[in-house]
Amino acid sequence: MINFESFRLSNGLRVLVHEDRSTPLAAMNILYDVGSRDEDPELTGLAHLFEHLMFGGTVNIPEYDLPLQMAGGENNAFTNNDITNYYLTVPADNIETGFWLESDRMDELDFSQRNLDVQKNVVIEEFNQRYLNQPYGDALLLLRPLAYKVHPYRWSAIGRDISHVRGANLQDIRDFFFSHYAPNNAIISFAGNVSTDMVRILSEKWFGPVPFRNIAARDLPVEPARIAVDTLTVERPVPSDALYKAWNICPRMSDDFYVMDLLTDLLSGGESGRLHVKLVREKNIFSEINAFLSSDIDPGLMILTGKLMAGIRIEDAENAVNEVISELQDELPDQNELEKVKNRFESSTVLMNTGILHKAMNLSFYELLGDASLINTEIDRYRATTGKMVQEAAAKYLVPCNCSTLYYLSSKRNQA
Amino acid sequence: MSLAKRIQPPLHPFSAVNTRPVNLHTLRNSAQVYTIEAGTEEIMRMEFIFRAGTVQEKIPLLASGTNMMLTEGSLRHTSEEISRMLDYYGIFLTMIAEKDTAGLVVFFLSKHVEKVLDLVGEILFEPAFPKKELDTLMKKRLRWFLVNRERVQNIAMDKFFESIFGSGHPYGYQVTESDFNGMNPHLLRDFHSRYYRPEEMAVIVSGRIADNTIGLLGEKFGCLTTGVKIVEKSQASLKNDPVRKVSIEKPGAVQSAIRIGSATINKRHPDYPGLKVLNVILGGYFGSRLMHNIREEKGYTYGIHSLVTSLDLSGFKVISTEVGKDKTSLAVDEIYKEIRLLQQKPVGDAELEVVRNYMSGDMVRMFDGPFALAESFKSVWEFGLDTAYFNVLAEKIKTITPDEIMHLANTYYKIEELYEVIAG
Repeated sequence: MINFESFRLSNGLRVLVHEDRSTPLAAMNILYDVGSRDEDPELTGLAHLFEHLMFGGTVNIPEYDLPLQMAGGENNAFTNNDITNYYLTVPADNIETGFWLESDRMDELDFSQRNLDVQKNVVIEEFNQRYLNQPYGDALLLLRPLAYKVHPYRWSAIGRDISHVRGANLQDIRDFFFSHYAPNNAIISFAGNVSTDMVRILSEKWFGPVPFRNIAARDLPVEPARIAVDTLTVERPVPSDALYKAWNICPRMSDDFYVMDLLTDLLSGGESGRLHVKLVREKNIFSEINAFLSSDIDPGLMILTGKLMAGIRIEDAENAVNEVISELQDELPDQNELEKVKNRFESSTVLMNTGILHKAMNLSFYELLGDASLINTEIDRYRATTGKMVQEAAAKYLVPCNCSTLYYLSSKRNQA
Repeated sequence: MSLAKRIQPPLHPFSAVNTRPVNLHTLRNSAQVYTIEAGTEEIMRMEFIFRAGTVQEKIPLLASGTNMMLTEGSLRHTSEEISRMLDYYGIFLTMIAEKDTAGLVVFFLSKHVEKVLDLVGEILFEPAFPKKELDTLMKKRLRWFLVNRERVQNIAMDKFFESIFGSGHPYGYQVTESDFNGMNPHLLRDFHSRYYRPEEMAVIVSGRIADNTIGLLGEKFGCLTTGVKIVEKSQASLKNDPVRKVSIEKPGAVQSAIRIGSATINKRHPDYPGLKVLNVILGGYFGSRLMHNIREEKGYTYGIHSLVTSLDLSGFKVISTEVGKDKTSLAVDEIYKEIRLLQQKPVGDAELEVVRNYMSGDMVRMFDGPFALAESFKSVWEFGLDTAYFNVLAEKIKTITPDEIMHLANTYYKIEELYEVIAG
């Protein structure tokens, strides 16, 4: 059980606090309700580029990292399709430095051309390192536009085209900041050796003066129901063929999400997952195969990725995958197997809650979803799932016309 | 009241060392169990450690192959049955095979401790090493190997180890495709009986430890013995390569991976804590000289890091980065420039103060929670040290002088002794 308290400042900033006196540290997490889904289709990658710029200093504090390191702290951040999330941990007595730094950069950044130029290069090298210079690195970038035609989930956080990052100018950056960075568009959570009273006083002191800003309501195009199978075949100099599939599913807050999450675990949770047992262990078709949910807030994806063993034809591999999927639709999962995936959820939830940083991150995210107490109650949603619900969800979502497929073929496969 | 927005709120001193007591329980067969009680959730972590790392193997893949095969079927259950039981109880198990040690680590709800010990006992001491599973595993691992070999990071790192430790020693030699055909159940069984000896097992238990844990460990493992130990002196010796600069062409690469460093002292050496501080200044945190210069000033890379690590028979230091191909030689020059600067000019007080505070904070994080505590303990126990090491490190962080740092840079970072490997 994670106890927490929450309050809101008059400028709209939401604050959550979980006291954990077993640690000498405090974690502070700031979630901004802006992700790559909020980008202009002609200027993608900006939310992520912006995350880099947030470390470039302000008029008041020229360097973000230095004072935090002086306080014994450490920090990082990430950007995804839905959110931009910043976090730090610091010896609890020095938490006020976190308030000072975060309120200052929420108030206003020092928009410098030099910082922009350097961070554009850093982001382009990040793109090269993660996506271009890795075997199979671009697969998920290719899969998105197959799965989405109109919704901004059709590009990933790094951007639709890296030239967008290259071309971003200071005015774009300034506009982005004032459209999305505001106390009323942020959720701050604390976990660790702090008291709610102290956090309340420091929040008023540091974040209270940051002005409320008008944030345009989100109005994203709705992805229409799919009517046709979509496939793409590419050749790359990789050692084995690989198969990627994506099924369009429900939003994060729908009841079906929990059912689909359990279903994904039946397929791919642990070594006893069906895909691994049948297709890796028994039939030796794949060297590795996984399924996972994108867990996006808007209707997301169930994604399957698999690398083929040598000498296996990709059509045969795909048929074998489809057979495993069909079984979910044809037969109820056995009680024991369902109990297994529920137990795994329970165990992994408790495991994650051993760290203050995770607790702080989750509190912010669940608050964004609409209910921070989900951090304690979500397990009940999983517990209440039945075999029949799994079967129905499989029949509803895992149908061929709702599926995009990427055949990622090895241009070297004939030499091997 | 207007806020002093330019002035950092007052900082408070904090204690870097927050170790919890570690209790040793010796089982009847002399296996050692260390317990660290900590945490807020009813969860436990147990690591089972053997001196069964790659350093013991006669041919490549033997140590990791033996380790990975332990979950592939026991005398009582098939691999699938074992994994189904682990998953049913929400037990998260990871097999570990490193250079010096091997074994496994499990995370689980404390209430399942008895089930965990039953399964772990079966995995560690009753493996069947079935031929079919071994063949599948090796085929699978060959595919993974082929993918990894496409990554410039791996190409550079493997070559770096070969250069500094030698192609004749398990610390240094590279795995090749044909090694995946060289395994058979007999070899694995032999390796297992020599190095997975219950009498020589160490267990580190941490978390909210269930009351009966020690009793159960004694009951299930305390009477296991394997008889006479076969001691064999290793023939291999560490031998660095005379060639110090290597460049490996990888057609189609858009970035080059750079690795610069050499073999060095380990945790048992009195200079080691000071070397750790020097390493942080050079490239061990976000504000480091290398990160500042090569990422934040020049934008050549997404990241650059330096690392000092201990092994049982040696240690090594390495600077790692991936840069755009056209920036490779510029980045290499800047790396040497930063090293020379540390050799020639004392670190300023302001910078050293930041590093002292950052590292002290980092030490607090090293002891935060039951899992971090266990890992920190293992990191000294492995070298025959105890938690007093952390006090020495904390003291060194507080008291090291700029002259000492300069002296360490001149002793341990002699440019002419460094290896430089580039793949891309």
